[in-house]
Amino acid sequence: MKERKLASVLSIIAANGFLPLRRQPLFLINTLTSPFSFLFLIFILGGPDLIGYGISGGLVLTILSIGTSLQGDMTHYKADLKFQEMVVASPVKAGTYVTGMALSEFVFSIPGMCVFILLSVFYAHYIFLGGLIVLATLILLWIFASALGFTLATYLADMRETFMIAPIISIFLTVVPPVYYPISRLPPVVRPLAYLSPTTWAANLVQGAMGISSTPLTLGQGLLDGGVLLLSAAILFLVAWKKSQWRER
Amino acid sequence: MDALRATALSKQYRWSGGTNQALKSVSLTVPKGSILGLIGRNGAGKTTFLRIASTTLLPSGGKMDIFGHDVVQETNLVRERIAVIPQESRPFYWMNPRELIYYFLTLRGHTREDAHTRAEQALSELGLLEYADTLVSRLSGGLRRRAMVAMVMASDAEMLFLDEPTTGLDPVARRSVWEAIRKAAHAQRTIFLTTHYLDEAEALSTRIAILERGTLLAEGSREEIAQKVQHPYRVVVSGGFTQGELEGYGEPTWLEDRWMLFTGEKDAREISRMALERGARLSVAPVSLEDIFLQIVGKDISRDEEGDDEGA
Repeated sequence: MKERKLASVLSIIAANGFLPLRRQPLFLINTLTSPFSFLFLIFILGGPDLIGYGISGGLVLTILSIGTSLQGDMTHYKADLKFQEMVVASPVKAGTYVTGMALSEFVFSIPGMCVFILLSVFYAHYIFLGGLIVLATLILLWIFASALGFTLATYLADMRETFMIAPIISIFLTVVPPVYYPISRLPPVVRPLAYLSPTTWAANLVQGAMGISSTPLTLGQGLLDGGVLLLSAAILFLVAWKKSQWRER
Repeated sequence: MDALRATALSKQYRWSGGTNQALKSVSLTVPKGSILGLIGRNGAGKTTFLRIASTTLLPSGGKMDIFGHDVVQETNLVRERIAVIPQESRPFYWMNPRELIYYFLTLRGHTREDAHTRAEQALSELGLLEYADTLVSRLSGGLRRRAMVAMVMASDAEMLFLDEPTTGLDPVARRSVWEAIRKAAHAQRTIFLTTHYLDEAEALSTRIAILERGTLLAEGSREEIAQKVQHPYRVVVSGGFTQGELEGYGEPTWLEDRWMLFTGEKDAREISRMALERGARLSVAPVSLEDIFLQIVGKDISRDEEGDDEGA
């Protein structure tokens, strides 16, 4: 059974990740556009001092965009192609399908990840185990974003709704929270609100691990950030499992 | 064993503006290895029934088993044995038909070797070998539809749900799909087909079910259903009769230059005899499925029900 699931996941990655890229390599550039736009703006407006934040924000945004792309693709496969119905009415489990789809979306983000990781090596001052902390943070973010994208996709009836929702989510997860800037820039009154977004905790971890934050990442703070992020990912995973409409009601 | 058994199945769609009773206590059985053609006008509830059976939609009431497994409680066991082509489904534009079939099979858990063999066989059966390596984006609508049919035909599913599989196909392409469906049935697979092409239902189905506004009006073999209609003969006369005369045998309909009416065997014989005496042109034939549908439903199949089938 495990071999069958693995074969299904690999098949999804090949068909939805590598094959479209082979046929249309421009997809690779497409995923780089948003994070690089922000990085460019930050460099122009904030100067070299803030470039570290632009890089750490780029890593976070690149992973979050997997969720947005997943939401769009799954809505397209469901509403336009009716392919999801063919999958539902088959031995393939929802978890297998979503894992495969989320990994195939990851394929598109590989160039962005490589570029931002390389940039971070040049510009950041990684603390001890910093690389592992960033990796763990990005994996939790990937789970969070994928679960969110999948759940939303099962409720959306048309691609136009995806075009409407994606920017809203992007604002609340990427632009407003201190992903691309230090949280100290926010007025103290507003700061507690920023912590409502899981990306704030993720950004704290990445910025701290990369050694670009003005306040060093302590063990206690790291555990708190990681714990909240883990909890957010777990909650979204549960929501996706229990509340997604894999089968319509 | 029955492949499908529905008992008092119902489905009600609810939305903020109201409700729509899409299925009303439908009971239906489909024997294993048969081809059931579910016919009905747009909005009759065909797709709703098929979606419940293929485990993509939950029913509001009643019960349905596929190969003895409840579609609600034992979903995973059902899904192991079925495959579906949804209405208006479309293939991925960046794949070619060979890749599409191969992907669908490996996704379902077939080994690479088995998927390859089955894909080649399905491509051959549906006349797609010539286009096997052409990207879907460059294929005609009919070829795309055939590629979709090939995907499910190639699988090892014992029961196939085909929701209007030949819509948009030219007559030759339709025949190749029909042939593939017949082959699948010969291989003891059960086919559940919805269509509003009555010639298709007549040509393929071993059993036919007629659905109208969520209610099952008739079910059985073509002959069994024909016996249920009051007037099993279709008579067409040109000249020699007045409308008043024909009204004594049924309800004549004027077809531009001749009268058509449905009658029983005795009346058909009498009209034939009178037509011969009067030198009128006449044709008498057993009713077609289209005639049966018209008599049972009271409306032509091409007349749409209000609303759309997705909601019914």
